Amino acid sequence: MGKIMLEVNNLNTKYITRSREGIFAVNDVSLKVEEGKSLGIAGESGCGKSTLALSMMGYYLSPLHYISGDIIIDGKNISGMKPEDIRKNILGNEISYIPQAAMNALNPTQKIISLIEDVIHAHNPKAAIKDIHDLARERFELLGLPPEVLKKHAVELSGGMKQRTVIAISTILSPKVLIADEPSSALDVTSQKMVIKMLRSLMEKGLIKSMVFITHELPLLYNVTDDIMVMYAGQIVEKGTAKEMVFDSMHPYSKGLMGSIIVPEAGIRNKKLSVIPGTPPNLKHPPDGCRFAERCKYVKPECTLTNVATKVFGNDRMYRCIYSIEQLKEVYADE
Amino acid sequence: MKGYKKYYSNKIIWYLLTFVVAVILNFILPRLMPGNPVSAIAIRATKGMTSQTAIQKVYEEYANTFGINQPLYVQFFEFVKNLFKGNLGVSFMYYPRTVSDILAKSVWWTICLQLPAIIVGWFLGNILGAIAAYVRGVWDKGILPSFLFLSNMPAFGMAILLQFFFGVYLKWFPTALGYGYDMNPNLSLKFIGSVIYHYQLPFWSIVLITIGGQAIGMRSMSIYELNEDYVKYSRFLGIKDSKIVKYVFRNSMLPQITGLALSLGTMVGGALVSEIIFSYPGLGTTLLAAISGRDYPLISGCTLIITIMVLIANLAVEILYGFIDPRVKAAQQD
Amino acid sequence: MKNLIKQVFHSPKFVVGFVIFIVIFFMIIFYPLFIKADPLDMVGGLFNKPGTYVAVKDVVQTDEYTLKINTALARLKSISIADKQSMVDWLIKFGNVKKTEVDIDEVATLVDLWQKNYSSKVVQKGLLAAEKMNYVRLNNKINQLINSGDVYIATKDKDGVLSSTKPLDPQAFVNTKDIVNKKTFILGTDNFGRDVLTELVAAMGTSLKIGLVAGTIATLFGLVLGLLAGYVGGTLDDFIMFVTNIFTVIPSFILLVLISFSVGESARGVMLTAAIIGFTSWPWTTRSVRSQVISLRNRNHVNLSKLSGHSLPRIILTDILPYVASYVVMAFILQISSGILAEAQLSMIGLGPATTKVSTLGLMLNWAMAYKAPLTGSWWAFLPVILAITLISFSLNLMNTGLDQVFNPQLRD
Repeated sequence: MGKIMLEVNNLNTKYITRSREGIFAVNDVSLKVEEGKSLGIAGESGCGKSTLALSMMGYYLSPLHYISGDIIIDGKNISGMKPEDIRKNILGNEISYIPQAAMNALNPTQKIISLIEDVIHAHNPKAAIKDIHDLARERFELLGLPPEVLKKHAVELSGGMKQRTVIAISTILSPKVLIADEPSSALDVTSQKMVIKMLRSLMEKGLIKSMVFITHELPLLYNVTDDIMVMYAGQIVEKGTAKEMVFDSMHPYSKGLMGSIIVPEAGIRNKKLSVIPGTPPNLKHPPDGCRFAERCKYVKPECTLTNVATKVFGNDRMYRCIYSIEQLKEVYADE
Repeated sequence: MKGYKKYYSNKIIWYLLTFVVAVILNFILPRLMPGNPVSAIAIRATKGMTSQTAIQKVYEEYANTFGINQPLYVQFFEFVKNLFKGNLGVSFMYYPRTVSDILAKSVWWTICLQLPAIIVGWFLGNILGAIAAYVRGVWDKGILPSFLFLSNMPAFGMAILLQFFFGVYLKWFPTALGYGYDMNPNLSLKFIGSVIYHYQLPFWSIVLITIGGQAIGMRSMSIYELNEDYVKYSRFLGIKDSKIVKYVFRNSMLPQITGLALSLGTMVGGALVSEIIFSYPGLGTTLLAAISGRDYPLISGCTLIITIMVLIANLAVEILYGFIDPRVKAAQQD
Repeated sequence: MKNLIKQVFHSPKFVVGFVIFIVIFFMIIFYPLFIKADPLDMVGGLFNKPGTYVAVKDVVQTDEYTLKINTALARLKSISIADKQSMVDWLIKFGNVKKTEVDIDEVATLVDLWQKNYSSKVVQKGLLAAEKMNYVRLNNKINQLINSGDVYIATKDKDGVLSSTKPLDPQAFVNTKDIVNKKTFILGTDNFGRDVLTELVAAMGTSLKIGLVAGTIATLFGLVLGLLAGYVGGTLDDFIMFVTNIFTVIPSFILLVLISFSVGESARGVMLTAAIIGFTSWPWTTRSVRSQVISLRNRNHVNLSKLSGHSLPRIILTDILPYVASYVVMAFILQISSGILAEAQLSMIGLGPATTKVSTLGLMLNWAMAYKAPLTGSWWAFLPVILAITLISFSLNLMNTGLDQVFNPQLRD
C-alpha cells in the first residue's frame, strides 16, 4: 500500500441554521486516499458530497460547523489547527479545491496573473514577482493552456477555458490532495474531455499527489478514478475499487445507482434500467436506523430500529447494511 | 484603444447635446410666463427705486435682454451669441456689475466647498458601508439604522443642526460666512486660517449627509458581492481576508460610481441650500439673493452655471468609470 | 394577493415604517379635532420657549396656598454651573479664599463666601476690563436672587393713589388649576407668535398633500412613458430614453427653480407647486418601469396575447401592468418622499408655495431661518420641523425597502 495522502476518520460536521437548529451534514465518514490514486464520490443531489468536500478542507465557514473526527493530510492532523494556520499552511498548498461551477469562481475584474500572485503571496509573502510569473507560464504550458490567458480578465475567457484556468490556479502550489467538485458538469462534451485529460495529466506529472473527484455522473467515475465511494444522506454507504463498485456492488442503493446508468459499457448493457423511487430524508431529524430504509426494496423491520454500522470485507471494501454479504447475494440472485 | 475612442466620443457628443438642451430650457422657461415679462419683472425690480434715469436704464436693460420686440428665434440667437462671448447679461440688483463678474467669484467658493465635500463623503460613506457589510455584528446593527435615518434628513436640515449645535450652543465654529467679516480676501496666513475655520461646518454638513446615503448603498452592494462565488473560492485558495475585502470593495465600488453620477444633480441641489444656511459666499447664496431680488439675468446665469458644473462632473465620472471597469473594455472589443 | 399582503406585513422594515407613518398620519387627522385652534393664529410672543404661560394678574388675584418649601434655596440652585465656576475662580484668585474652603456643590456656602469676600474695588490683576464688568454683573445677579426685600402689589383707587395691603408672602403658592388664563406651548412659538405644535401638525398635512399630488403626477407620467418606451420599443423608445436621460442629468432642482420663478409668486399656490414638482420628477420612474417592461415584453403570456390578436392597450393593461404594479407602488412611495423634500428645498430659497393661508414644513423652516432662530437658540422653531421631515421621509423609505424585500427575495438579509 502506498503512502496515504488523505485520511479521514469518523468525521462529523453540522450546519447550524439561523434559527439555531442543527442539520447534520456529514455523518461518521471515514476514507483513505493513497498517493497516486484518485477517489470518486458519487451520489444524488443533496446527499452531502459537496459538504463533505468542504468539510475535508478543514476550513469551516458559518453555517458549517465541525463536530468531531480527524482529517490527516500526508501525516499531518489538521482537525485541531487554528483557522489562521489552516489558511496559511494548508489551504491551497496541502489540500486544494476546485469549486462547482468554476465559471463564476473568478473575480470578473481581476487579471488571472494577479490572482495567481495573490495565491502564492498568501502562502509565501516573500516570493518574487518574476518567479511567480515564470512558474505561472511554465504551469500553463505544461497543462496545455495558452499563456496569453494570464494577462486577461476572467470576463474575457470562454466557459471551458475558465474551468481549466481554475484547475491550473488551484494546483499551482502542487497540493498533496486536490478535491474536484463536479469539475466537468457544466461543460460541453469536448470541454469535459479536456478537463479530464488535464486532471489526469496533473496526476501523472506528480503535480498533485492524489485526487478526490466528486460527481453525480457515474459513467465518468469508472473511467477516471481508481476507487469509488457512494454517499447517501450524509453517510458513506459503500466503498470499493471502481471495477468492484460498477460490476459487483453490495449496498442496495449502490446497486440501484449503477443500475440507472445509461451507458453502453460492456457487461452492464444487458441489465435493466432501474429507478429508485422516493427522495432522500430530511437531515434536520435523521431517521433512526438505516437512512435508506424507506426507499429500500429489501427493507426489514429491523432496519429502522438501530443505526447501522459499516462492515469491512475484502481488500478495504466497505458497506453499510444490516444484511450480510451472503444474504445480499441471495436477495440479488432472486431478481 | 480604438474601442475606447468610440465609447468616449459618443459620451462627449451626448453631453454636448444635453448642454444645448439646458441652454434652450434656460432661455425658454422664463419666457413662457404669461403676460409681458418685461413690464412685470421691471416693475418688481424697480420697486423702491427713485432715480428716473436708473429706472429707465433698467427698462432698457430688460428690453435688451428679452429683445421682446424681436421674434423668438432672433432672441435665441442673441442669447447664444452672447453666451459664447461669455456675456451672461447685466445684473439688476448689482447694476452695473455683469452677471459673469458676480458669478466668477461665487463659482470658486462653491466648487472648493462642494467638490471636496462630495468626494470625501463618497469615500468615507463607501468605506463605512463596506466595513458594515464585512464585519456585521454590532457595527452593522448599530450604525446602519442611524445612517438610514440620517440619509433621510435633507441636506439643509443637517446644515441647520450643525450650525445650531456646534456654532451657537458649543460655540466651536462660526455660524456664517466664508471668512471673518472684518477681513478682505488676501493671501495672508491669517485670511487662509479664517477661511479654513469657516469652512468646517458647511463642509462637514455636506460630508455627513453624503456618507449616510452612500454607506447604505455600499453595504447592500458589498453584502451581495460577499456572497458571490469568487469570494468563497479565494478563501479556499488560502487568500487572506484583508485581500478579499479589497476585491469586494473594488467590485462594489463600480456600481457606486455610476450611482454617484446619477445622484450628483440632487446632491449639488442640497448642498446649495446648505450654503444658504451658512450664508456661504457661493452660488447658493447668490441664487437666493437673485431670487429675492427678482434679478432675472442673475438667476438665469446661476442656473446655467450650476447645470454646466453638474454636466462636467457627470462626464468626468463616466470617463473615470470607463477606465476602471475592465468589463467596459471587454464589451468594446466584441 | 392575500398572501402577498401577509408577507408584506411580516417584513420588519415595512412594519416599522408603516407604524411611524400611521402615527404621523393619525396625528395630522386627529389633532385638529381636539385642538381647534387656527394654526396661523398669532397667539404668543416671538420665539417664546416651550412651556406653560400663566397670566400674572390672575396669579396675583387668585387663592394663595402656603407651602413649606425653601424658596430661597431653589432660587440659589438656579445659578448656572458656569456662573458658579466663575465665582469659585474669582474667590480663589482674588478673594483670599483657599481651595479647600470652597465647594462648588454647596451653593449656600458659596454664595455666603461670595457675599463676604467680593468687592469690585479689589485689585484684580490680569483681568480685562470686560471680564471685570462681567463679575460686577454676576454680583448684581446674585444680589437680586438672594434679595430678601419685600415685593408689594399695589392697587390704584379712584383718585389715582397707589396703596398696598401687605407684601407678597415668599412661601405663597397658587394652584395652576385655579388659574383661568393659561396657555401651554408644547413647542413654543415661532417668529410670528404662532403655536409651533399646532402649526407643525397643519404643515405636515399640507406637505404630505403636496407630496401625494406630486408623487401621483410623477408616477403616472413616468408609468405611461415607461410603458410606451418599454413595450413599443424602436424609435419611440430611443426618443423617450434620450429625453429621459437628459432630464436625469440636468438637475431637477434647477428646473424647479426656473419654472417656479417663471410662474410668478401670485400664481404659485400649493397645488401648482405640487404639480411643478411632479412634472420634474418623472425620469427615475420612467427608467424603472421601462426596464421591467422590457424584461416582460418577450414572456410567453405576452406573446400568446399578441398571437391572439389582442390590441396594444389591452395587452399593456392586462398582461404587463400587473407585473409592473409592484415597481409602481414602490416608485410612488419614493416619489411622495422626494416630493416633500423638494417642496422643502424650494421653500427654503423662497420659491415655495406663496401662501398665507396654509403653512408647509418648508415654509416653517424658511421663516425660522429668515428670523435667525438657530442664532437666538430658539431650537423649537426648527428642530421639530427637521425631525418631522426626516421622520416622514424615513418611514416612507422604510416601507419601500420592506416592500422591495418582499417583491425581490434575494434582497432579504
